[in-house]
Amino acid sequence: MHIMEGFLPPLHAAAWTVVSVPFLVIGARRIARISREQPRAKLLLASAGAFAFVLSALKIPSVTGSCSHPTGTGLGAVLFGPSVMAVLGAIVLLFQALLLAHGGLTTLGANIFSMAIVGPWVAYGCFRLVRPLGVGVAVFFAAMLGNLATYLVTTGQLALAFPDPVSGFAGALTKFGGIFALTQIPLAVIEGLLTVVVVNLLVQYSRDDLDEVGFDRRAGLGLAREAVR
Amino acid sequence: MLPIDRYAWTNRWSGHHPGERILLAGGLLLLAVILPPLSTAPLVLIVMTAATVIGAGVPLAAFLRTLAIPAGFLLAGLPFLALSLDLSASPHLAFSPDGARVALDVGLRSLAAMSCLAGLALTTPVSELIPGLRRVGVPQPVVEIALLMYRLLFVVTGQAIAGRRAQEARLGYGTLRRSIRSLGVLAATLFGRSLARARRLEIGLAARGFEGELKVLTPPRVLSTTRMAAAGTTLFLVGATGLTLGRFLP
Repeated sequence: MHIMEGFLPPLHAAAWTVVSVPFLVIGARRIARISREQPRAKLLLASAGAFAFVLSALKIPSVTGSCSHPTGTGLGAVLFGPSVMAVLGAIVLLFQALLLAHGGLTTLGANIFSMAIVGPWVAYGCFRLVRPLGVGVAVFFAAMLGNLATYLVTTGQLALAFPDPVSGFAGALTKFGGIFALTQIPLAVIEGLLTVVVVNLLVQYSRDDLDEVGFDRRAGLGLAREAVR
Repeated sequence: MLPIDRYAWTNRWSGHHPGERILLAGGLLLLAVILPPLSTAPLVLIVMTAATVIGAGVPLAAFLRTLAIPAGFLLAGLPFLALSLDLSASPHLAFSPDGARVALDVGLRSLAAMSCLAGLALTTPVSELIPGLRRVGVPQPVVEIALLMYRLLFVVTGQAIAGRRAQEARLGYGTLRRSIRSLGVLAATLFGRSLARARRLEIGLAARGFEGELKVLTPPRVLSTTRMAAAGTTLFLVGATGLTLGRFLP
C-alpha cells in the first residue's frame, strides 16, 4: 500500500526518510562490494530489479472480484536477501512514483520503510524460522506475513500522522486497520499461495537461476543436493 | 509503453537541461508540503498545471489522466480523516469538525504535491533524473543498476503483457485457483527470462571489454540562466503569495 504524494505532514515524511536511510546505506554498500568483486552482479541485480518492478505491477485476482497488486516483498526477500532487496525495492518505488504516479517523492521514505525494509525483513525472518517445516510452508508464511507486515506498518504510519480527534493513536489504528483488514487478509493469503507456486516452479525448473541469486544457500537446498550426491 | 514515459520524451522541454525542471517541480513540491495548504496548494496546482500544459506542451487530458488514479485514492481515503472513532463503552463513528479541517488540508496539500510529481514525471525522462542521484550521495554502482533497470523494465513489461494475453486466451484466469496457478507460471517464467537476459548482456558486454563500469553517452545540455531565473522567480512569487494569503485565511 503506497502512501500518496503529499499525504504525510512534512515532519513525518522527513522522519521516515531518516529511519530508512541507514538500511539503504547498508544495502548500497553491500551492492557496491558485490559488484566490485563480480562485475556481472550489476547486470543480475538490474534484471532482478526490473523483474520486481513488473511483478509489483501485475494484477492479482482477489476474492471479491476486484483486483490488487502483490507486494512482491516475500518473493524478493527469499530470492535476493533482505539487505539487497531494500535497495532494489527503493529503486522500484522511485520508478513507480516517476513512471506510474503511484506513491510519491515526499512519501518515498515512509513507503521504503514499509515495503522495502519491514516487509522483506519480516518475510526473511519467517522464512528462516519456518524453514525446518519445509520450503513450501516457509515460503507461504514468508510471503503472507511479509505482505501483512507491510500493511500493518503503513497503517501505523497513517495512524501516527493522523491520530483520531477523539481516541488518538489507538482509535486511528483501529479505524485505518479496520479498512485494510477486510481486504488485506485474503490478499495476503493469495500472495502467499502465489509465491509458493512461483518458488516451486523455480525449484523444479530453474535450479541454476536460484543458485545464481543465492537462494539455494539461503534455503539450505544446496546442502540437501550435496547430501543426495 | 507507459504513457507517462512517452510524454516525458516527446514534450517541448525534453531537450532542456533536467535541472531546470527539477528546480521548478521540486521547489513547488517543497512549498506545497511546507507552507499552509489552504493558501499555497491551489496556487501550486495552477502554476504546475500551466507549466506542464502550456509550457511543456503536454496535453491537458494526459496531465489529468495521470492525476486521476492517485486523486481517486485520495478522495476515497479523506472521509476517514473527517470521521472520529470513539473507543469508549459504546464504540461509534462520528463526524468531527477538527478531523474535517485536517482532511481539507491534507486533501489540498496532497493534490498540489501530486500535480508537482505528475509535472516532473511527464516532462522529464527517468534516465535523466537518475544520474542526479549521484549528487545526493547514492553510490555509482547503484545508479548504474537503476539506469539499467529503467532500460530493462520495458522489455520485461512487454513479455509480461504478451504472456498474460496468451494465458488469458487459453482461459488461464477463469477461476481463482487457475488464476493463481497462471500468475505463478507467468512470474516464474519472467524470472527465468530476466536472468537469462542478464547472462546474455554479460556475454555481449564482455565481448566489448566490460570491466565493471557501464559507460553511457549523456547528451550535452546547457543549463539556461534565463529559465533557471524564471523558475526561481516563480517559486519566490508562489511562496510569498502563499505565505501572505495564509495570514488572512483561518
